Amino acid sequence: MAFIITIPGIIRLVAVRTPDEVLAVNDASMVERSLSGRGGLVNRSVAAKLAVFRTPDGDIWPAFRDRLDPLRAAHQETLEAALSDVGPLLRGIASEIVELGSYVRTGAAHCSTGVIVQQAVGRLFFTDYAASEESYDAAQTLQSWLSAGPLRTYWLKRSGALQAALDRIMDLSRGNMACAHATALAMHNIVGSIELMRRLARHGDNLAKIGPQDALAQTLRAPTSVVREARDERRVGPVRLRARSLVLLAVESARQKRADPGFAFFASAWNRCPAHSVVPALLADVWRAAKADREGRA
Amino acid sequence: MSRENDGFVFRPNLLQRLLDALYRVINVFVRWDRLPTLIGAVNLGVFRDRLREHNLHHTGYGLEESGDWSTGKERWRSPDGSFNSLDHPRMGMAGSRLGRNFPLPECVPDSGDDLLDPSPRVISQELLARDTFIPATTLNLLAAAWIQFETHNWFSHGVPEPGNEFKIPLQPGDDWPERERVDGCMQIRRSLADTTPRETWLGATPTFRNSNSHWWDAGQICGSSQSRQAEIRSGTDGKITIGPDGMLPEDPAHPGVDLTGFNDNWWVGLSLLHNLFVREHNVLCDALKARYPAWGDEELFQRARLINAALIAKIHTIEWTPGILAHPALDFAMHANWSGVPYRVMRAVLGEDNEAAHGIPGSPTDQHSAPYAMTEEFTSVYRLHPLLPDEMNVRWLDTGEQVSRELVNMQGKSTRRFMEEHGFTNLLYSFGTNHPGAIRLHNYPNFLRQFEKDGQPLLDVAAIDIMRDRERGVPRYNRFRELVGKRRISTFKEITSIPGAADKMRKIYENVDRVDLLVGLLAEDLPEGFGFSDTAFRIFILMATRRLKSDRFFTDDYRPEIYTDFGLDWINNNGMKSVLLRHVPQLGPALEGVKNCFAPWNVL
Repeated sequence: MAFIITIPGIIRLVAVRTPDEVLAVNDASMVERSLSGRGGLVNRSVAAKLAVFRTPDGDIWPAFRDRLDPLRAAHQETLEAALSDVGPLLRGIASEIVELGSYVRTGAAHCSTGVIVQQAVGRLFFTDYAASEESYDAAQTLQSWLSAGPLRTYWLKRSGALQAALDRIMDLSRGNMACAHATALAMHNIVGSIELMRRLARHGDNLAKIGPQDALAQTLRAPTSVVREARDERRVGPVRLRARSLVLLAVESARQKRADPGFAFFASAWNRCPAHSVVPALLADVWRAAKADREGRA
Repeated sequence: MSRENDGFVFRPNLLQRLLDALYRVINVFVRWDRLPTLIGAVNLGVFRDRLREHNLHHTGYGLEESGDWSTGKERWRSPDGSFNSLDHPRMGMAGSRLGRNFPLPECVPDSGDDLLDPSPRVISQELLARDTFIPATTLNLLAAAWIQFETHNWFSHGVPEPGNEFKIPLQPGDDWPERERVDGCMQIRRSLADTTPRETWLGATPTFRNSNSHWWDAGQICGSSQSRQAEIRSGTDGKITIGPDGMLPEDPAHPGVDLTGFNDNWWVGLSLLHNLFVREHNVLCDALKARYPAWGDEELFQRARLINAALIAKIHTIEWTPGILAHPALDFAMHANWSGVPYRVMRAVLGEDNEAAHGIPGSPTDQHSAPYAMTEEFTSVYRLHPLLPDEMNVRWLDTGEQVSRELVNMQGKSTRRFMEEHGFTNLLYSFGTNHPGAIRLHNYPNFLRQFEKDGQPLLDVAAIDIMRDRERGVPRYNRFRELVGKRRISTFKEITSIPGAADKMRKIYENVDRVDLLVGLLAEDLPEGFGFSDTAFRIFILMATRRLKSDRFFTDDYRPEIYTDFGLDWINNNGMKSVLLRHVPQLGPALEGVKNCFAPWNVL
């Protein structure tokens, strides 16, 4: 059942939470990724937040490109191909996987988990990608930019922190926008999964009992929600989308109701995440590494 | 700075901001067209400023290089429109892309089956087809020909080529000929694709190129390329070639069609206006040669072209436009556009460079928020095919005799034969005394709904008009309204009071947001005196002045050094009536007492 709220001039929002509705609305042709900011102050504010994810020459980050954008399809295909040969990719980040495994087992790492994850993700694109506390701070700044309230939003922009974070991420990503998106935004879901793995490992002898695929199923996390806009009015199944509604697809909430692990990556939709193979494999390897570490020490 | 708009940005001044706020309040209570004339005219200026700020969007030039350049050519219009802007030489050049009036993400076509929904063929049959001819009684048929004469100056998407056609399923009982069906469907060719490299920031917005120069440069007469110009010029005294009968010669590549700058979709209406303004060009060459005997062919051609183009622009601005949009505020505004307001105090207060006070010609060039280009939305609102009747009365000026003739027999390769048979003078008189169709639903000329065109499959132009907007990503009617600053409507009855139309639209579309732009524009209830919809008019407000304000030759270079004193006087002192009477003096009695040459003439 969709949640709909309309306060004229303030907000026009539809939140969709069931798996079928999420997929149907995601697939509806008049529901777009680009936001016009029409529909109320909140709609405008969200649109303004997403508008910063552009390169200095106006190029658009891949995750914000619309369905019919020929570059989106091309980027997606190229990246999916590059991320499909999982074995060599994971061997290239073996040391980060071991370190994350160690963190899952012991709860300690030589630096924050976020930095390790960011480096692991970055090295899927560039073998010499080097994350740091500063680069992870930048990623956190960008993540908090998306969820911050008005005062923090104002401060992030006014203080220059937002631009500095964008610049740092883009520099490290060498202009590769897929890398920028992965190391600034998408990585937080992996960090969340690693933290869940740590929690799982802490309890009893879960680390010994639970296999990598089961651990993955229990800890894989999708983005909490993704945002779209309904350009025109349309009914999608039982959901009535009014024109200029901000559409919130509660992906994580829907994923929990669906056993299919591909759901977190929209694996069967037009906007499937190009990392739909490598991320589950990475998480499974982290659990394996944690288990191996435990067995080695035992 | 907007990254996509090549650095152009429009910043309203304090007065403009104040007026904007004031009129937002006023328009809550009173529509612009119900305000007193002067206040209504200022309201139009406020709309224009808003549109200049928000409704100009660059799509890239689509061209890597501009045309050839050599010093001294800055005095003239280049054949392809390049170097009109000396800082941005590709701006408005033939072959460059059409721009957009809406943010690019708004200009994305529907995907999948939605693109063909509802069927354009059903719309053509149920909503557009003409039952009985509805005349526009305040206009004559020359007004219909005129707008096509002008649009041929401004844009062309090129001729669609076969391959990957849209397949429109047909309803049982559809009379579309069996021989034309493919897999039981009607086929519509796609717009010519833009194959130039796409800028990454274009997103999903499709782009299309304008094969003509975008400028208001008499390109329909003079061509949009050096080679075309060479074909139409006589090489003597700057003149354009005419035959021994004083008429344009035949295009060797298109039998039955005149050789001129741009001759696609040719018919008698275009032939009349092209012949008229070629005569005007050649008269200008004679007059310039008499004053500047040392000038050679090139100088004479280029100067005459400048003057002729400006005269055409003036006629369009202060005669055709107030003719078709007969509202006192608009009449005032269009005259102000060309020559400023008639109040000395206001002129003094607003200053020499103010376009509203002194008119756009001679004011500083300004691109506002994007490089100049014709836009897809502009081409959409100028789909005015209902202006064409299916038949007209051909009248003989000397005998008063008249016969009814079908328009289908006075177009394409039949054009020259028809012109020869009935004569230039009689046909001008006939056009002046026939009405065009009203731009309304159920008034689309039926001959265009099964139209044979050389080198093309059978065409339902009405269905094609619908598909063109859809494939080019022009928003449908309701969102289009919103994006030009009007309120979205929520019911079909809010669009139209045409009897039965709302019910028919509801049956076809079900959802008011799905109404096609063309259908909404044709259905919309009109402001008093208007010949087309207020929604289309919003684009018009912006683009009509932009064609002048962005063009160096109408602004910074609208001066005697470029036009000559004689040229500026010629533009000031002439209009459609004097042009007609100069070249066809026999029309005198028919034009006696006629104030606007696009209004019906006297039937003698």
